[in-house]
Amino acid sequence: MTRRVVVTGLGAITPLGGDVRSLFDALVTGRSGVRKLDHRLSVCGAGRIAAPVVEELDSKFSKVKLVSMDRVTKLALLATREAVASAEIGFGSAIAERAGIYWGTGMGGAVTLENAYTELLVKHASRLRPATIVMAMNNAAAGQIGIEFGIRGPSHTYSSACSSSAVAIGEAFRAVRFGVVDVAIAGGAEALLTRGVITAWESLQTLAKEDPECPRTSCRPFALDRSGFVLGEGAGALILESEESARNRGATICAEIVGYGNTTDAANLTQPDVLGQARAMAGALAEAGLSAEDVGYINAHGTGTRVGDICETLAIKVVFGEHARQLPVSATKALHGHLMGATGAVEMVATVEALRARIAPPTAHLFHADPECDLDYVSSGARELPHMRVAMSNSFGFGGSNAVIVARRYPHLP
Amino acid sequence: MTTLQTVQELLIERFGFERHEVDAEAKLHELGIDSLARIEFMFVLEEKFNLLPTEPTVAVSTVGGIAEQVDALIARQRVTTAARSSAVQR
Repeated sequence: MTRRVVVTGLGAITPLGGDVRSLFDALVTGRSGVRKLDHRLSVCGAGRIAAPVVEELDSKFSKVKLVSMDRVTKLALLATREAVASAEIGFGSAIAERAGIYWGTGMGGAVTLENAYTELLVKHASRLRPATIVMAMNNAAAGQIGIEFGIRGPSHTYSSACSSSAVAIGEAFRAVRFGVVDVAIAGGAEALLTRGVITAWESLQTLAKEDPECPRTSCRPFALDRSGFVLGEGAGALILESEESARNRGATICAEIVGYGNTTDAANLTQPDVLGQARAMAGALAEAGLSAEDVGYINAHGTGTRVGDICETLAIKVVFGEHARQLPVSATKALHGHLMGATGAVEMVATVEALRARIAPPTAHLFHADPECDLDYVSSGARELPHMRVAMSNSFGFGGSNAVIVARRYPHLP
Repeated sequence: MTTLQTVQELLIERFGFERHEVDAEAKLHELGIDSLARIEFMFVLEEKFNLLPTEPTVAVSTVGGIAEQVDALIARQRVTTAARSSAVQR
């Protein structure tokens, strides 16, 4: 028996603001969250460009709770609070045991770990904060979400680099679809704007060079003058629910999740693979029972690296054939940055909002077309798509982990 | 300032409690101070009172209990220090 799976709540805290509305408004209007870090925004990362969350976080938690919370957990809880509130769902005893947590993160409590190593190895501290382990562990956010909302079903934390939270959403979709849970809190969070992490990424030579005249436009996916991605932080959360559960409680349904594809490249840790990505897209469409022509918009992985952009373009052509020529594809990372383990969730939130509004957000900063990237990247501003019924969100991670989610407008119109 | 008053001030400063919440009889678990927060607070106390790092010997459940434990640790350290110095004089 399989069940229909719907989205009933959305939450996000991103470099574009503290909620879903600020995220989608900025994406549609082309406002960038990329900026130069100062000491207020970073652990010694000042001077570099990044996409930080600028909202003040600590006042939203009790000081006793803050003792054992990394920044990544605060972001996770804030996004989840918005999603739970927008779903207008409570987790009483009956529903709590049929509810699960499916969360993604790349590096978990990176800030805590870096602070601890600095204390120990640089300042020669004799001991570390007692909560160091439980703040740094990858499943800290999932545990804290469970505590705050009283979720008593399964709890999973997925870590597959940039596809982590897309995997989390996909696995949550399957868990609801196949009756493991009735409700899932699904999403991901990342907070890694530390000196150590940024420096390590710099060594990999994948980060965008700062545009000296307009740093906010430094990330340029699919453009000839792109130079890489901009590291970001944030969190996205979705409430997934069986259609029956949502209807029984009279919930507002935002969209339906209809397909999930997950493949491994089995080729290279960092170089993406056209066929690995294509198989993930095709798998998601097959599970959805949809054809390529049904898809009206793709939120691309589109990081702004030369190899990644060209690979994804080719993979889309493999899967969509002729339809690829008239299929709007956009990379919102130009504006919110690359949120690593959180990026799949934030982009899925954006994709659901795009479906609801029937508007494709643009690929910003695409001023110079690359002949090797010749799809319709929505480069001249947001576009109304009055006939859009189905949208796809792509996420591809280091390690060769590809995760693709397909969503459909609800109610489904023929 | 008594030990209790200092403990209360530190609880207010570190965890953001109101003064009336941290009476001597206030139960730690009702304040939301779990085992991790207790250890964290113990570190704060060790710095404030120049205590040697130590394992708490008595299970403490109230704000007043923390102050009593601090007093006991200070007293024990004084005895130990005095014993050491008399041993040196001999």
